[in-house]
Amino acid sequence: MADLEIRDLRVSVEGREILKGVSLDVSKGEVHAVMGPNGSGKSTLSQTLLGHPGYKVEGGRVRFKGQDILELTPDARSRLGLFLALQYPIVVPGITMNNFLRTALNAHRGYDGKDKSKSVSPKEFRTLVEPYLETLRIDRTFLSRYINEGFSGGEKKRAEILQMAVLQPEMAVLDETDSGLDIDSIKYVSEAINKMRGPELGVLMITHYTRILQFIKPDYVHVMVAGQVVESGGAEVADRLEREGYAQWGEEVA
Amino acid sequence: MPFTKESVEEIASLHEEPDWLRKRRREAFEVYERLALPSKIDEEWRRVDFKGLKLDEFRAFEEPNGAAPGVPIDGAAGVLRQRGSAPGKVDLDPELAAKGVVFLPLSQGAKEHRELVEKRLFSEVRPDRDKFAAVHAALFSGGTLLYVPDFVEIEQPLVGQYWSSGGGAAVLPHTLIVAGKGAKFNYLDEFLSPSLDQPALTSGSAEIFLGEGAQVGYVALQKWGRHAYQFANQRVHVGKEATARLFNVTLGARFAKVRVEANLQGPGGMAELKGIYFASDDQFFDFHTLQDHQVGQTTSDLLFKGALRDTARTVYAGLIRIEKDSARSDAYQANRNLLLSKQAKAYSIPMLEIINNDVRCTHGATVGPIDPEHLFYLASRGIPKAVAQRMIVQGFFGEVADRIPFEQARRLVAEELEARLG
Repeated sequence: MADLEIRDLRVSVEGREILKGVSLDVSKGEVHAVMGPNGSGKSTLSQTLLGHPGYKVEGGRVRFKGQDILELTPDARSRLGLFLALQYPIVVPGITMNNFLRTALNAHRGYDGKDKSKSVSPKEFRTLVEPYLETLRIDRTFLSRYINEGFSGGEKKRAEILQMAVLQPEMAVLDETDSGLDIDSIKYVSEAINKMRGPELGVLMITHYTRILQFIKPDYVHVMVAGQVVESGGAEVADRLEREGYAQWGEEVA
Repeated sequence: MPFTKESVEEIASLHEEPDWLRKRRREAFEVYERLALPSKIDEEWRRVDFKGLKLDEFRAFEEPNGAAPGVPIDGAAGVLRQRGSAPGKVDLDPELAAKGVVFLPLSQGAKEHRELVEKRLFSEVRPDRDKFAAVHAALFSGGTLLYVPDFVEIEQPLVGQYWSSGGGAAVLPHTLIVAGKGAKFNYLDEFLSPSLDQPALTSGSAEIFLGEGAQVGYVALQKWGRHAYQFANQRVHVGKEATARLFNVTLGARFAKVRVEANLQGPGGMAELKGIYFASDDQFFDFHTLQDHQVGQTTSDLLFKGALRDTARTVYAGLIRIEKDSARSDAYQANRNLLLSKQAKAYSIPMLEIINNDVRCTHGATVGPIDPEHLFYLASRGIPKAVAQRMIVQGFFGEVADRIPFEQARRLVAEELEARLG
């Protein structure tokens, strides 16, 4: 049984069905790439996995570590070990990155403001953050800035990966982390993800382009078109996509 | 019992006031008697609902009773503490007194420093503005005179604390601040009372005068109990090259009608008007602000942010006025409201009156709930909803609270908000 089991997942947005029965298995230690053209439902899949309120599950199920997570709130899913790097990280005014990261980490530790022994110490926080600030080339002054405020597109995406490094999830969904990134940022992000890669981390990497796959080698590649997974295989699937594009599935799915 | 001429005489005697001031009170009382209550036909009062307010029911002043809390901040350079309507007790750093700083209960100040008080008192906050301004001028009880001479800089803030615990009475403190040329200091007014059964009539008005090049920070922290009806006028007169930073924090009272105004009278003058309000239960707050650019090359920067919970209602109306000859003025005004319940209602009405075109003017208003995307983002990192909401509200206030002119007040307001957000 895979750590993350998606079975026949059907999801609608504002009454329109976007995912039409998606099934995927992702286990820790594996990196899966889900590729697809715009509008194929890739982002719907990622947002649904974390429980975004704008997406309505019409059918199917999702199990993570044997637990049915569709009934869980987004914060409970996160604490269970699921992580989503947003395609469009948003600005939250007035809350510093530092406060955000610490509060999130404390929530993962079960610290609710009472039992101080559960709260993350400043020293521990530093040892978690510092190496990734370096890998991701994020200036430490970013930590005292408000969440994503005044960050460039690349900086926002790098900050998402920094959050991932701090929270140490067991399963990370990366929603087009590579889109809109300059080549340097792609390198830094890939370096950080490769550093985290290991038997304790599963990755579901959602992307439109094959470019990032040169830096993060996937174990499995799935192609999603019009709300369904139309092909699954190894890295060679991406190579074929690189040569032939998505057109070949146009007929099949219509 | 209605307010009477006798109550005016009584309060003047209680404070041992000079005749000229007694005369002023009598004149203001005549205005009070002449004016009707504001009506809903008047745009400013259209959304104001003072249901339950009966001016006849208040005693004219309050005997001091109850134990006042401690001074809200440490290390103040001077403290005036007033209980009820009695004259306050002052504690001022002797070094400052030696430099000519005057810090006194207002009536004593009027007696001992007529030259400072007579021409300024109620010149910016005029008794004929409305019936409530008139009763405040007729029956003001206590208050403060602070005078900081030319080029005197005070590092630590000064504090006025007004405590009321009676209920059923009028408690109407008035702060008069006079900053000489190049004077620099910060001041905190704290108004507070427990919540009582009997209603009270309160104010907390201030007139602040900045001489050339003066730099003054003024924070008004209003924590009247939920029995209080507050009518306050805070107005600053900004001279040439002077910088005023006013910060209004409205948290208490059942009803608060507050005007915050900058009268920009000297080129190079700058007024920063900022405010925070947090309304819960059935509180009603109304803010009217004015950025009055009487001369050119003046700057004003206003931001009022409020959060509303339960069935609270707030009104914000702000006017930027740029006179005909006030070229090269720069004015900014924004009001942001966060609705934390479906029943809470906030009105926001920005207004411009610009007679000169060579100016830069920006304004904006927003009213809305917490952005669900913000909540989702925080939740997706494992932060429980209640915690996320609190962080977002604190963050919302934090953006403007960072502009509180001095550190001790910033901390005090942060603690106050944290306690209220629960």
